[in-house]
Amino acid sequence: MQYHIEHGPAFAWLRVGLEPEERIVAEAGAMVRQSSALEVETRLNASRKAGVFGIIVAFFVALLRRFLGGETMFVNEFWGPRGGEVVLAPKLSGQIMKKSLDGTRSLFVQRGGYLASSSGIDTRVRFGGLRTLFGGEGLVLLHCTGAGDVFVNSYGGITEVPVNGKFVVDTGHIVAFDGALDFRVRSIGGAKSFLFSGEGLVCEFEGRGTVYVQSRNLKALVGWLAPLLPS
Amino acid sequence: MKFEIQYRPAHSLAIAHLEAGESVRAEASAMVSMTRNLAITTDGPMGGRGGLLGSFKRAVLGGETFFTNTFTAQGTAGHVTLAPTLSGDMQAIELRPGEPLYIQGSSYVAAPDSVELDTRWQGLKGFFSGETLFFLEASGQGPVLVNAFGALETLELDGDVIVDTGHLVAFGAGIEYEVTKASRGWIASYLSGEGLVLRMRGRGRVYLQSRNPKEYGHAVGSQLPPRQG
Repeated sequence: MQYHIEHGPAFAWLRVGLEPEERIVAEAGAMVRQSSALEVETRLNASRKAGVFGIIVAFFVALLRRFLGGETMFVNEFWGPRGGEVVLAPKLSGQIMKKSLDGTRSLFVQRGGYLASSSGIDTRVRFGGLRTLFGGEGLVLLHCTGAGDVFVNSYGGITEVPVNGKFVVDTGHIVAFDGALDFRVRSIGGAKSFLFSGEGLVCEFEGRGTVYVQSRNLKALVGWLAPLLPS
Repeated sequence: MKFEIQYRPAHSLAIAHLEAGESVRAEASAMVSMTRNLAITTDGPMGGRGGLLGSFKRAVLGGETFFTNTFTAQGTAGHVTLAPTLSGDMQAIELRPGEPLYIQGSSYVAAPDSVELDTRWQGLKGFFSGETLFFLEASGQGPVLVNAFGALETLELDGDVIVDTGHLVAFGAGIEYEVTKASRGWIASYLSGEGLVLRMRGRGRVYLQSRNPKEYGHAVGSQLPPRQG
């Protein structure tokens, strides 16, 4: 599989060259252009090893998120007997990075940060707390395991932060982080701070690993825009 | 008439330099600033020639209003600066006689009066997405200024390719297209989230933008509080 990240850092897209029978899985709606020889298969972004229960959970989550105005959790898989090329783009302005997994370490990707992955990667939905599901705040994560490449997109630029000990990131600025890190979602400092500081929820990381932080926050943009809309 | 483009690629701004008597026809909301000697006339979609009826046709069929303003330099030379709505690149595509360019409605910025603009109602509608697609046909001679949401890529097509219309900016004559399914079946195509997808075939240039305005709109818009009333 060949890949090129072009037009970064503001408007990056991912150009993937597939060998015969090679596969790439991409976020629904990400396709810009593709060779007409490539086949496309649409499915839920549930683990292939998830079994019936896992698929039902993923489907329920997909419906709920859709109802609440979130993402659909469908993915498209591209491949072809003769190979071909597909170009994939994120929704927001920003950068794309590749993270290779060797089967020993996993990667958590914030839901909106997932762009694509090679076929050796398995993804599974995880939640950073109950509030996430109903409040729209907080974290919905994709746990990426296996061996292969994960392509992650950010809103703005991506800063790679090596953590050794504790580190705190606003949930809206998290792109991805090492599976080896422990994490806990909490408000930054009591109810008063939650209501007035504007910081909302943060994620506290602990251990040793890398956190990828994006320089812009979609929730902040929405929070800025919403009061300006005519009623 | 000459286009100069500054601040590429993220926040491009075009300057149309006009000699005395020259004019440029720009998409209605694009004007940023201009010299005092420019006269403005507002036209329907065919540069005034289509009249109100043409504008109406466009507004109804095309799902958007498309009016242009024509800036004419009077007496002396002058300039007008033009900017698109979204962040991204712009490019002046040089037209040659007999080789028209088809431009997605929202991608057109401006062209001199040596370029003829015509609407081509394609009648294309996404089966599930409800997206409509219409193109302007630009013919004649001279530069046509188009804008992209994000980066602008020129694809030299010789054969066929499948393109998401949300990323399509323009394409040259000699390219045919048809609506196709984004995934295997119609339901899968709906779930695939790709909206309206074209299979383009032939030999020529296809201009693509690296971001999709609708996807961006949905990503941000779905988080906003519902509109009252």
